Amino acid sequence: MPVTFTFGEWFSARTVIGQTLADLGEEYPNLWAVTPDIGMTLVEFREKFPDRFLDVGLAEQVAVGVAAGLAYEGNIPVVSGMLPFLSMRALEQIRTDVCYPNLPVKIIGTHGGLVGNGGSTHYAVEDLSLMCSLTNMTVTSIGDPLMVGEILRQSMKMQGPIYIRLAVGKSDMVLYEPGQHDIQIGKGIVAREGTDVTIFTHGTTVAQTFEAADALEAKSHSVRVVDMFTLKPIDADLVERCAKETGGRFVVVEDHLAYGGLASRIADVVVDRGINLTGFERLGIPQVFAGFGDDEELRNKYGYGLSATIEAAERVIAAKK
Amino acid sequence: MGQTTLGSQGQRHSVAELEDLAFELRSKLLYLCGTYEGAVHIGGDLSVADILIALYHYGLNIDPSNIANPARDRFILSKGHAAVCMYIAMAMRGFFEFDEIVETYGQLDSAFGMHPCKVQLPGVEASTGSLGHGLPIAVGMAKSARQRNEPHRVFCLLGDGETGEGSVWEAAMAGRSSELGNLVAIVDRNRQLMTSFGEDRIVLEPYPDKWAAFGWNVVMVEGHDMADLVKALDNLPAPDSNRPTVLICETIKGKGVDFMERNLAWHAGSLGQADLERAMASLEASRAGKEKN
Ligand SMILES: Cc1ncc(C[n+]2csc(CCOP(=O)(O)OP(=O)(O)O)c2C)c(N)n1
Repeated sequence: MPVTFTFGEWFSARTVIGQTLADLGEEYPNLWAVTPDIGMTLVEFREKFPDRFLDVGLAEQVAVGVAAGLAYEGNIPVVSGMLPFLSMRALEQIRTDVCYPNLPVKIIGTHGGLVGNGGSTHYAVEDLSLMCSLTNMTVTSIGDPLMVGEILRQSMKMQGPIYIRLAVGKSDMVLYEPGQHDIQIGKGIVAREGTDVTIFTHGTTVAQTFEAADALEAKSHSVRVVDMFTLKPIDADLVERCAKETGGRFVVVEDHLAYGGLASRIADVVVDRGINLTGFERLGIPQVFAGFGDDEELRNKYGYGLSATIEAAERVIAAKK
Repeated sequence: MGQTTLGSQGQRHSVAELEDLAFELRSKLLYLCGTYEGAVHIGGDLSVADILIALYHYGLNIDPSNIANPARDRFILSKGHAAVCMYIAMAMRGFFEFDEIVETYGQLDSAFGMHPCKVQLPGVEASTGSLGHGLPIAVGMAKSARQRNEPHRVFCLLGDGETGEGSVWEAAMAGRSSELGNLVAIVDRNRQLMTSFGEDRIVLEPYPDKWAAFGWNVVMVEGHDMADLVKALDNLPAPDSNRPTVLICETIKGKGVDFMERNLAWHAGSLGQADLERAMASLEASRAGKEKN
């Protein structure tokens, strides 16, 4: 039975962005928030620092261009919006106005992956591939709300641009206790230790991967889960170490095109470093326009849901050396 | 206008009949908002309900039983987040069943989702939802009609907030440059965006002057006054004239439901049972109020 909820409430879980920025705004008097009419997550910041908040209306290209201008003048702009539009409509601005002069512009937004019922206009499924191709860009994808705050905090010290991908929804899954892991941009998180297989994942599929790991553990498999929340620069040393420590058995699960995202980044490391793998499976969105449905249904339909993850891990574990 | 819907007298719908249809459309919208568990863009749906009835049940030369007819008028919902409102207006016109929408909306493999997809739902003219795309596509369709000497029109419905996108104005220049009198933009001027009231964050005024400066024929319309909408559609310049037309429709986001009207919280949302009843009561009351006047 439906319950009443309004737009603001739908996004309430994302107030962590607004809260963190409101805190950081004290520390950094040159911090700005810029948005193309997606400011519902920025309320705290807007109320506290109205002179450093800019809503340019429906104009993603302008949002990014203006952020570049602010950054040229020594400011730290955070552009907050919906990722399909920021990563594609404003792609040239990101590449040429932000990455080319290597400006400290942060791009953060929701709607990464098949977030359910929006349809293909509203699913950012190519974004990580696009962003990883850009010189100077750091690329992250985050599934835990508290981590969002931590990454934003760390990004303040960065010279160049960063892309921070989030999902969207009424409820966020809290994945980690505060202080449970040492979180550093550029370093993968070994969220679960294990020796039979490593499952690499990021963002919206981390929670699901934990569930898969539980199910596999119950069948006496020892599963390592790596939250590879930084796709660029990729933590190549960790990839190499996991190959050694989990028998060269890899599964990659992601809410992104299966080709061009994390799996491709890991495959590059494997080839470039001459790592020998015993088994490798990539689960993600095939190259289709995905259609409607809720996110879980879509993940199952396209073969990167919970059961597909468990099955892929079992196949890889069973692979002969 | 051979294929336009016929009203009770065997003629084109009267204004009163169109008003009834608009009421029915709003009721159905609320019903869906109260049965679907996810968010529905109810605010921007209610603000275009009268416009979509005027188009699908009066102005557009279309035939639900012959959706590929090359002579049909084209309609592009550039503010694609009002898709359900369009789906229901189309269902009421005979394109498909309303029940089909209610039963499958937003579900896996449904043809009916938050934003319209031409591939999944034949009868939709263009896949939209990312704002700022519709008008350039409409220019292309209108240009093609011109080159082939086809007399139909191309209509494109935009949100006023949407017209912040540069592509809209690039298309406005292209449409004028190609002298597309067969092109009609309709702007839902509800003076609200997703998170702000128009003019608070982004200044669009003097709005009609902007379109006029781009060389368009500008017509101001009361977007919830069916007689005014009908008049505007009746008086469009001939498709073979040389200036595109924009109908700037003054509207209210959330129109018809008191607690949604001009309320930023209701850009999108969902209704529980009690609030659905409250919304329906408000809709009834606003119709009763109208009849008194
Ligand atoms: C390119 C793009 N940016 C952002 C969005 C998200 N979005 C959906 S509706 C909306 C507000 C649109 O305002 P307006 O065009 O005035 O429509 P209305 O207020 O009538 O709903 C926004 C920002 C989008 N769909 N497309």
